[in-house]
Amino acid sequence: MTALTKDFTAAPAFSRLPMLIFVAWRNIWRNPIRSVLTISALASGLIMVILYASLLEGMMRQMVRFATEISTSHIQLHRQAYIDDQDIYATFPWSYMKQIEQDFPEVHITPRLYAAGLASSEDTSTGVLIKAVDPKREIAVTKMLEHVRHGKLDLGIADTAENGFVRYNLVIGAQLAKNMNVKPGDELVLVTQAIDGSIGNALYRVAAILKPLEPNFDRMGVLMSIEAYQQLMYLNDGFHELAIKVNDMTQIEMVQAAITNKLYQLSKSQPLDKLGGEAISRNWKELTPAISDMLEMSKAMVLVIGLIIISMASLGMLNTMLMAVHERTHEFGILLAIGMKRRWLLLMVLFESFFLSIVSAIAGSILGIIINEYFEDPGIDFSRSLPDGYDWAGMVFEPIMKGYLLPVDVLYACLMMMVVTMLASLIPSWRTVRLKPAEVMR
Amino acid sequence: MNPNRKIKNSWDKRVFLQMGNILLALLLICLPLPASAIEIDELIRHIDRLWRGETSRANMTMTVKTQRYQRSMTMEAWSRGKEYSLVVIRKPIKDKGIATLKVKENIWNYLPKINRVTKVPSSMMSGSWMGSHFTNDDLVKESTFEDDFTSSISFEGKRNGINIYEITSIPKEDAAVVWGKVIMQIEQKTLAPHRALYYDEEGVLVRTLTFDQPQQIDERTVPMRLTLQPEDKPEESTVIIYNEIILDVPIADSFFSLQNLQKRR
Repeated sequence: MTALTKDFTAAPAFSRLPMLIFVAWRNIWRNPIRSVLTISALASGLIMVILYASLLEGMMRQMVRFATEISTSHIQLHRQAYIDDQDIYATFPWSYMKQIEQDFPEVHITPRLYAAGLASSEDTSTGVLIKAVDPKREIAVTKMLEHVRHGKLDLGIADTAENGFVRYNLVIGAQLAKNMNVKPGDELVLVTQAIDGSIGNALYRVAAILKPLEPNFDRMGVLMSIEAYQQLMYLNDGFHELAIKVNDMTQIEMVQAAITNKLYQLSKSQPLDKLGGEAISRNWKELTPAISDMLEMSKAMVLVIGLIIISMASLGMLNTMLMAVHERTHEFGILLAIGMKRRWLLLMVLFESFFLSIVSAIAGSILGIIINEYFEDPGIDFSRSLPDGYDWAGMVFEPIMKGYLLPVDVLYACLMMMVVTMLASLIPSWRTVRLKPAEVMR
Repeated sequence: MNPNRKIKNSWDKRVFLQMGNILLALLLICLPLPASAIEIDELIRHIDRLWRGETSRANMTMTVKTQRYQRSMTMEAWSRGKEYSLVVIRKPIKDKGIATLKVKENIWNYLPKINRVTKVPSSMMSGSWMGSHFTNDDLVKESTFEDDFTSSISFEGKRNGINIYEITSIPKEDAAVVWGKVIMQIEQKTLAPHRALYYDEEGVLVRTLTFDQPQQIDERTVPMRLTLQPEDKPEESTVIIYNEIILDVPIADSFFSLQNLQKRR
């Protein structure tokens, strides 16, 4: 010890540093059980933070995917009166769609029409929301039509009766099918008010039942082709909604601005009727504000929850270091007495904490990444207890929760842990600085 | 999308009931004040039987005017008491044969094009009736008006130069009704209804039903034209004109059945 200390005090500052680090490293392993326990506490905290960040990110990704891919798409165009109270008369003429299609060949578009109606099966009747799509275009924009649970997706003509009445195929929401006790192949009657005020009524065949998309559609959604809709509603000269998919999500704002501008030009050359109001374009963040808010919030949530977990774990660290310093009081007194500078002593204790935290960071990251593999695939499966998934913020999620770990999240988690533990270790280090050699050596 | 809103806007207009029944509902008074007890009872009985008698058959034309369209329908209606009625559309061709049966609080529609009978679920009751400004609820609630409202004569005297009785109906505490107050004005001389005013729970006037074109039928003065005017849409209205009313015609009970609904195209 004497030789070591002598060497230590005599050498120039930089050559002393490796020695100091070496001593700090050895000091940790003077009590291996205590150190391993501390490291496991810190590493577990880190694993928790990493997994939490991964699950939240996975959920957010699923959310954005659902928000855009399943039915909303990236941008939607409506008339103001349609947004305000689903005014069925607030349509765009078909020429608008053709113009937009011509001017924006790089985006995919799909028109949609809506109506409210009464659906009756053999046993029950219930109010439904009729949604009409063009299957060919819809497939290029959203995955709505691929989300089939039972039956085969078909929106064409099912059969023609002897008297010439055509039965079209329909696709309905999962909850609606359950409530009405309807299976693929069953007959459904739809009754509604056509736009001329007459009573639109027709027979349909349920071709398929969709998996949950969004709570409203699941409960009361009926999907049909635009031809079927036009025969029911006599609404031939327009559509209510144009959904637009942009290839590169980062370009959404730009495309939206260009389309808004195009709409303005179109409304000059082909004026829209007054009652329907202006043409409005909204992107998915505006259409589903709850989700974009949630995205913002989730980042803050990871930080807060992470800080809490790490702070708890660093209490263990604090305890370890306090003990380590306390039991070496005598030793430190001697070091000081033979001329070791207080700041080097302080540095040594800080290095000890640093080693503890870096070992924890490495162990925690590796274990966290390994466990996360399982979270990413197969994920946490709730499908046994929640076969329809769960809905949160108006979105339906798959019953399988999947993580998605961003490398940067691991890095941030490690950095956060190290900063917190280093701050905690300032308390024991400070005690070494205030040691009085004469007292402690007595 | 708010489903209820949509339903209200565009839906349900497939219920066709005899309009007279609705009006009668407004006049049913169940807890008369002692002072005018006899008078209220008399008024109720009188107005209850005005368009309907014990049984009735009527031919009427309904014209609905909205911002987007105007259309007229001619229909034939049968009733027995206030609990049974059957309405069949005769014109226009597009809707011809569509029939509605009301038995107590249930409404069924028959749709000839697809040859199916459908029942109107309770969730659809607040929806518009036949694209008009009446609701399904107006048709159904008349059976229970007596149980749901407490009525009294609140005013007797001159309004707009006509001597009237004014009957105010307030819903009972636990009644599931949409109106906060209904005021009915009846001409003193002829005992024909003059106007009915419907207020919501905040006491705001929501719609006005006006009665005119009186005619003598069996020594009673019966207004043949009813105009419903929603207060928030001054340019819209629903007008019902009775072309013919025959009271106390013989109608069998089995007439108001689902089998008959499907039979009478």
